[in-house]
Amino acid sequence: MQDPLHAFELHTIIPLSLFGLDISLNKATLVMWAVVALVVTFLFRAGSSRSLIPGKLQSLAEIMVDFIRGIINDTMGKDGMRYFPLICSLFLFILFSNLLGLIPGSYTVTSQLVVTAVFAIFVYALSWIIGLRIHGAKYLPGILIPPGTPGWLLPIMIPIELISHIARPISLSVRLFANMTAGHVILGVLFGLTITGGVLIGWLPFSFTIALYGLEFGIAFIQAYIFTVLTCVYIGDAIHLH
Amino acid sequence: MPQFDSTFFSSLIFWELISFGILLWVLYKFALPPILETMELREKKIRDSIEQAEKNQKASEQQLKTYEAKLQDAAKEAEGLLTEAREKSQRLLDENAQRIRTETDRLKAEATQEIDRERRKALQDIRNETADLALLVAEKVLSRSLSDEDHRRLANEALDAVASQHKN
Repeated sequence: MQDPLHAFELHTIIPLSLFGLDISLNKATLVMWAVVALVVTFLFRAGSSRSLIPGKLQSLAEIMVDFIRGIINDTMGKDGMRYFPLICSLFLFILFSNLLGLIPGSYTVTSQLVVTAVFAIFVYALSWIIGLRIHGAKYLPGILIPPGTPGWLLPIMIPIELISHIARPISLSVRLFANMTAGHVILGVLFGLTITGGVLIGWLPFSFTIALYGLEFGIAFIQAYIFTVLTCVYIGDAIHLH
Repeated sequence: MPQFDSTFFSSLIFWELISFGILLWVLYKFALPPILETMELREKKIRDSIEQAEKNQKASEQQLKTYEAKLQDAAKEAEGLLTEAREKSQRLLDENAQRIRTETDRLKAEATQEIDRERRKALQDIRNETADLALLVAEKVLSRSLSDEDHRRLANEALDAVASQHKN
């Protein structure tokens, strides 16, 4: 039986180097380009008609825009709308990465911890930048001490808040990575069973594969949604300080 | 796990940042504005349409009120005219009836008077006639002694005389 983790292996396709930095092209980088191309094509085509009575693609794009605007409004309030392009890009990049990964033979970019970690660290750093710019020196005590905390609780509260804050980028990156990896591992295992089981038994794991594929499709959306919502929550926290 | 193979970290991070940077820039500059603009335009159009519709409704309600008021005035006026006409005709009827009654009474009174006068006159005439006749008969009786034959003759004469007088 094939190693279920085989699908996550990368191989250099075109070796490239920039100032000594290895930037070789591999399957994952190609999929990233495909993601960017797909998202841009989708939005350009959706936005090109500019019709007041939207077509299917335009409706889809507008539903997506409204959906993200709703998340931003719920978590950040009106001030959050300036981050709309960023949140929108993040959501669409992750969503399309998850979805493209479901195509057999493709590669799930978000199953690479380093990719999700870069996003998570970027979001976390951004929340710090926004918080420091808005609140200045009051930001650090603001995030560590929730308002109304009695003085004697401070020795307990500060470490708890500190840990929860540091856990944010870790949980953000690991959640997406683990979900994507786990889903594909299970799919790989079941498909391997199908192949080795033959026609007599193979139909059972195969039917599970189909069912799980539908589940993975939903998870692709949910994980993109969770990542986006948490991003909004973290930035919203930085704007409003609890 | 192959994901922890650090060989590809640099290229993955590099291309991720480049791809995401490009995506963010394109979306921010070119892709999202038309969609957002269209949505805003539609929202504005819908809002304007609703406002316009509300304004129109208010105006039509106002107009309806005016018309209703006018209609009410007209109805009131018509009612007034009708009442006036009714009163006038009633008055005329009353006047006519009164006049006819008065006229009838007058005519009746006149007729009664006339009849009375005629009756009296007739009675007077009869009385006069009777007196004359009596005188005449007495005169004849007193002037002669008469036989039965004479009596009959005289009586006939007297009757004749009366008759002839009546004829005259």
